[in-house]
Amino acid sequence: MIEQIAKLEKIREAFNQEFERFLDFDANRTFFSLTDAELLKKELSDFRIKKTGKKSEIAGLNRFIGQVEQEHRAEFGKMIQSLSSDVLHAIDSVEKKLDEFILNSKIERERLDVTLPGRRPRVGHLHPITLLRQKIEDIFVSLGYAIEDDREIETDYYNFDALNIPEGHPARESQDTFYTTDGFALRSQTSTVQIRAMERRGAPLRIIAPGRVFRRDTPDMTHTPMFHQIEGLCVDKGITMAHLKGTVHEWLRRLFGKDTEIRLRPSYFPFTEPSAEFDFSCFKCGGTGIFENDRCRPCKGSGWIELGGSGMVHPNVLRACNVDPTVYSGFAFGFGLERMCSLMYSLDDIRLMFENDVRFLDQFR
Amino acid sequence: MLISYNWLQELENNGLSPAELAEKLTSAGLTVEGIDERTDDFIFDIDLTSNRPDCLSHLGVSREVRAAAASDLIVEPHPQEFRESANSSLVKIEAADLCHRFTSRIIKNVKIGPSPDWLKNRLESLGERSINNVADITNYVMLELGQPMHAFDLSKLAQNRIVVRRAKTGETIKTLDEVERKLDDSMLAICDAEKPVAVAGIMGGFDSSISEATTDVLLEVAYFDRASIRATSRTLNLATEASYRFERGVDIENLKRASDRATGLIIELAGGDAAEFVDVYPRRFEAKLIRSNDLSSSVKRLTGLDVSDKEIERILTALGIESRSDEGERVYIAPSWRHDIEIEEDLVEEVARIVGYDKIEDRIPPATSSGSYQPWELRKKSLRQTLANHGFDEAISYSFIDTKHDEVFDLIPGLVDDSITDKFISLRDSIIEGSTRMRPTLLPGLVDAVRVNFNQQNRDLKLFEIGKVFAASRSETGLPTERELLAIAMTGSEMLAEKAFAVRPLDFYDLKGAVEIALDAINIGPLEFQAADCKHLEKGKSASVALDGRVVGYLGFLNSEIAARYKFKQPVMVAELDLQTLLEASETQVFYQPLPKFPAIVRDVSLLINRKVSFFDIKTAIRSKNFELLKKIEYVDVYEGKGVADDERSLTVRLIYRSSERTLLEEEVETVHQKVLTHLGETCNARLRF
Repeated sequence: MIEQIAKLEKIREAFNQEFERFLDFDANRTFFSLTDAELLKKELSDFRIKKTGKKSEIAGLNRFIGQVEQEHRAEFGKMIQSLSSDVLHAIDSVEKKLDEFILNSKIERERLDVTLPGRRPRVGHLHPITLLRQKIEDIFVSLGYAIEDDREIETDYYNFDALNIPEGHPARESQDTFYTTDGFALRSQTSTVQIRAMERRGAPLRIIAPGRVFRRDTPDMTHTPMFHQIEGLCVDKGITMAHLKGTVHEWLRRLFGKDTEIRLRPSYFPFTEPSAEFDFSCFKCGGTGIFENDRCRPCKGSGWIELGGSGMVHPNVLRACNVDPTVYSGFAFGFGLERMCSLMYSLDDIRLMFENDVRFLDQFR
Repeated sequence: MLISYNWLQELENNGLSPAELAEKLTSAGLTVEGIDERTDDFIFDIDLTSNRPDCLSHLGVSREVRAAAASDLIVEPHPQEFRESANSSLVKIEAADLCHRFTSRIIKNVKIGPSPDWLKNRLESLGERSINNVADITNYVMLELGQPMHAFDLSKLAQNRIVVRRAKTGETIKTLDEVERKLDDSMLAICDAEKPVAVAGIMGGFDSSISEATTDVLLEVAYFDRASIRATSRTLNLATEASYRFERGVDIENLKRASDRATGLIIELAGGDAAEFVDVYPRRFEAKLIRSNDLSSSVKRLTGLDVSDKEIERILTALGIESRSDEGERVYIAPSWRHDIEIEEDLVEEVARIVGYDKIEDRIPPATSSGSYQPWELRKKSLRQTLANHGFDEAISYSFIDTKHDEVFDLIPGLVDDSITDKFISLRDSIIEGSTRMRPTLLPGLVDAVRVNFNQQNRDLKLFEIGKVFAASRSETGLPTERELLAIAMTGSEMLAEKAFAVRPLDFYDLKGAVEIALDAINIGPLEFQAADCKHLEKGKSASVALDGRVVGYLGFLNSEIAARYKFKQPVMVAELDLQTLLEASETQVFYQPLPKFPAIVRDVSLLINRKVSFFDIKTAIRSKNFELLKKIEYVDVYEGKGVADDERSLTVRLIYRSSERTLLEEEVETVHQKVLTHLGETCNARLRF
């Protein structure tokens, strides 16, 4: 049997020697290209046939079994099997690695850059005033208010008289209000809509009037001669300032979050009595006045942001609209959208609102 | 208004710390905007509303504190009282409508000099410059009691007397600020026997002012008509501490006390003797009376606050509002310093603000009705969102534009009434230079916006605006027509998000597409587009849009004249549509069409046609014949250029044949198809290109 074993070992040795170059691949795979690997795989496949096929030397060993002593035949048979299995195993193992390498190389070759921008049209943006107006309108519609708007050029009656702003009142001076050459006023507040809506609908009513208003302010960082207001009016039996407070609180909570607080401060407006300004707790610092260890910007460190005016509708205003102030009472409030926008977005120059620079417009959504 | 904490404590010692005091005042409506901490005092900066001139003094503020802090420790200054004399020939009021009361005190043998330190310091800490003892005392008493006053050098007054009259037009006066001012007969002047010596309630004259040489002083303490002071102050463009108080209203019943207080201080600090005092009071103060049968329930009715009668009584008394019973009603007497208290609601506010608005509850009114948007808001919302989704940014431009845009743009049909001479609306004056025209078109605003963006190197733009335009009208009220329009501007190339390189240049069909998606979004259509010449649009590159035969707008390339004026180096396209009319039109109704049961046979044909023949003409020609089996004509493509004559284009269309009863055979379609082609040849001179 020794002779046959020597033969077998020779075959094993020859295999090991020839197989070395395939093992080389495993050690040096970083230097391999996909083409190299595919070529190598083909060679390995030929090599497999050569080494394990029917005409291979290993297969030839079977012919020697007969020459081995009877008692050693089984043993020799096992040795052949063992060699055969070692060879197959070695080839399989490299082949598997080659396949893996080829697959990976192919994946790499076709790898996408998923960080490139998605293909989509450039979308436009609604004006920040529109966005804010729509949000606030949605809140009030859900609270049972009707949205109203009306004329932008008005008579003195609707702009002043009906609002209890008498002749000689500073607000009526032409240095504050734009007049047309025909003597009409560009409405200086959306309260004009209150009057027209009350005339149209009578009491009870609940309306929100968003709209464009005009005042003769020279444009600067915080003023423009045209801006937008939102005004609310609720007239019914039994309406009190508590309803004003609750309503203002509710919509500000919906806009700025449930922890938002409000406060009313006594003030003066000709069309309301009692009158109040309303402030809300700063949405940035949460009313502490301090943001990131610094004085909070929107509230100037006070924790409160002054937003608008409000009050109980003056009996003269109700009377002007044929609403009996002994039966009905109502509250009204109003505020400027540009100011609110500039607070919300930390915008320091509101003139940008009407310049229509797309670098500005594209920031809002 | 600057208020000294120490001074308040002298008037009303309530033991509140500066922070507590600031909180009380803010809560009562005297918003403390800031507290300036000085070495020996705290200076409050109080923001006062225009209806509260009574708080333009330390006395006034102390009244508020008394009410708000529920303290009764008032230490009001009790000035020495000085004798009156009967001689009234010294002062004559010739314009009693403008000067309701005038007092004059003569103080003889004073010595003008610097003020003592305490006075200087107090004035300076409140932002007043120290001048001399007498002038400083007038300022001091104004800050203490709220009454502005003026001291004249008696020797400089011709005939030593005062005439209060309207100025004569052409009269001039050199005021204390050494400016020569022209007066007119709308202004009230304090004069001597010859000439104006002060602009009443605003500023004294330079020549009659106190100087070091002055020995005899005439102290004027008066009440002037508020509107008159305001008007004069505006006309002269001169606002002073005095005019600020007079135009808001001072306390007419407080003149004697203020005069006595100043006289006392002058004698104390500048020496001298109190001499003649004249009080001319042609218009006696009449207190306003407010009747209320149950103020407590009125407070409840308007504010929801429960405030007892006793507490109401305390608050109003502290504020100086006395009351008495009269036939079962309470009658409240508005004090002479409160010009703002006229009706019961005013009293309710007094009570509520002192009790504190923070005591008012938070309630939502019970629901009584469902909410609603403006009639077209939801469609406009969809319109805006659709345009934004297609890359359009929303612009908002000023409603007033430059008159140079007049007659440059064709306006929306029906906006302007040509029978009116001044068909546009103009402002009396402008704030933005040249912008006196209320815009009859949105386009100038958008074209300006294009310019603004070009200046910032943004050359690929899609903008839209929805807004009102204005025109004169013959309506009953004379009020102008206001109409809501939609305008679109486009220029440059179609862009992808986050991609620097353009997809392709925008052309007319992008603009038309934008108009179509916009109107699709509000469910309006079909629209009819026709070639149309338009003042502001390039000829041959413009169209009108009509709905049911009515032209509702124009679109196309901005013409080269306007483009040149704006220095545009690339084509800009614009569209303007009468949004209001479109929204008023009835929305498209949708009805289900049964789905076809049998397959269609499709023929694409390329037709050579003259450039004057439109796709619309081809469609119309085919529709007019009502060809059997032909269900639809679709646009495929247009080719112009090589192989096609200059005055022609090749239009490829798809003809779709279908029967609702059976599967069609090629031959029967071919028969109809040939008829269609022959018809197009006859009517449109269209030939097959291939």
